[in-house]
Amino acid sequence: MSPMHGGAHVVRRARPLLGTLIEVGLCGTRASDDARTLAACDIAFDAIAIAQACLSRFERGSDIARFNAAAAGTWIDVQADTDIVLSAAQRLFDDSDGLFDVSLGSAPSGWLLRERRLYKLDAAAEIDLGGIGKGHAVDRAVQALQRAGIVGGWVNAGGDLRSFGKAELELKLRDEQRGGVVEFGHLHDGAFATSCFGPAARSRLSTAQHAARPSHVSVAAPSCLMADALTKVVAACGDVRHPLLAQSCAQAWLH
Amino acid sequence: MSSGGPASGVVVTLTTALALAPTAAFAIDYLSADQAAQLMFPQADRFEARTVTFDAEQLRRLEAAAGVSARSARWQVRVAQRAGATLGFVVVDDVIGKFELISYAVGIGADGAIRQVEVLSYRESHGHEIRLPAWRKQFVGKDSSAPLRVGEDIANISGATLSCSHVTEGVKRIVAVIELARQTGALA
Repeated sequence: MSPMHGGAHVVRRARPLLGTLIEVGLCGTRASDDARTLAACDIAFDAIAIAQACLSRFERGSDIARFNAAAAGTWIDVQADTDIVLSAAQRLFDDSDGLFDVSLGSAPSGWLLRERRLYKLDAAAEIDLGGIGKGHAVDRAVQALQRAGIVGGWVNAGGDLRSFGKAELELKLRDEQRGGVVEFGHLHDGAFATSCFGPAARSRLSTAQHAARPSHVSVAAPSCLMADALTKVVAACGDVRHPLLAQSCAQAWLH
Repeated sequence: MSSGGPASGVVVTLTTALALAPTAAFAIDYLSADQAAQLMFPQADRFEARTVTFDAEQLRRLEAAAGVSARSARWQVRVAQRAGATLGFVVVDDVIGKFELISYAVGIGADGAIRQVEVLSYRESHGHEIRLPAWRKQFVGKDSSAPLRVGEDIANISGATLSCSHVTEGVKRIVAVIELARQTGALA
């Protein structure tokens, strides 16, 4: 629970949220402070719970559940988290020529966001933030930890992760087909996300070159929202040099 | 493995070519059951260990209430107390996923509502050996305070989202266990 790494003392906790496991690691504290540091992890879990309450389509009363249930022509007031994620989703849709689509094809132009109000233009429009919401929740958790004066650490939402401050993370990639993990590298002060695409996965890679074998795409980016979302863009186009990556100071790998 | 342009704003130092790398097992221990109980009920001055045993009829009621298999007739419950009054209950359980074994603790208030779910340990197998009794047996009876430490370094797994559905199912089962134990007077 409290490994030493490069001289830094670390505590870590994990809880199930966002339909996955959320791990929070905080470093830079002394062993004698462990109990207090363990409690400080709640700052991150609380931020994630708030994001989940806004963004999950499975939570009754969330902004997204209300939008999906609403009739065409309805305006919905949304929380700050929803506003941030949908604004980013709109930019990503435009910049990826429609590859990134939070309506999952139901009605890409069926929603409109204006001054923290969400308008439903098309009755068929349903929003699913599964390709971006976890990344945003991780960013919010990291911001909350930084505001609380935590000197370094990380938050990992089932593989969408971000490190900050003096934490340097060893990255391991999970093999979704065969199990086990492989060493990938080290991450310092940034975000990293991986998507699996294949017969049973939600993300699809449509290029002939990769159609024969299921595979993974990983993206490193300054924010976890972008790392999360850009894995979907790369999975959709198969191009690790898509212009959006450089534009977002991000880098992608197919493996 | 192929990689994108050089304009990354984030430094990722690559270890090796992924396709050639052997897969490894992985284990993380987060908290002991006692630490989790303390986090969930910081006001408690005592945790009393109780064993709850259900008969066949009670197990049928449990399955009907939880909507999941009862799995076990015997459950260990930590009863959180303060000055003799019951604050709530903590139950520790394990679930097996596609490639992982997760130990977790559920805290339930005196009102029967879930207070917190905390992961105690996470063990990622090399692969399908998770289905082999021999692989799982190495963890039997291991409390997180006496863990098998495979990877003690700071490491984070990235992969397609790990589903927590089996943990969710386990939590439902434990809520029903506590409910039934209270109804039958086993936790009185």
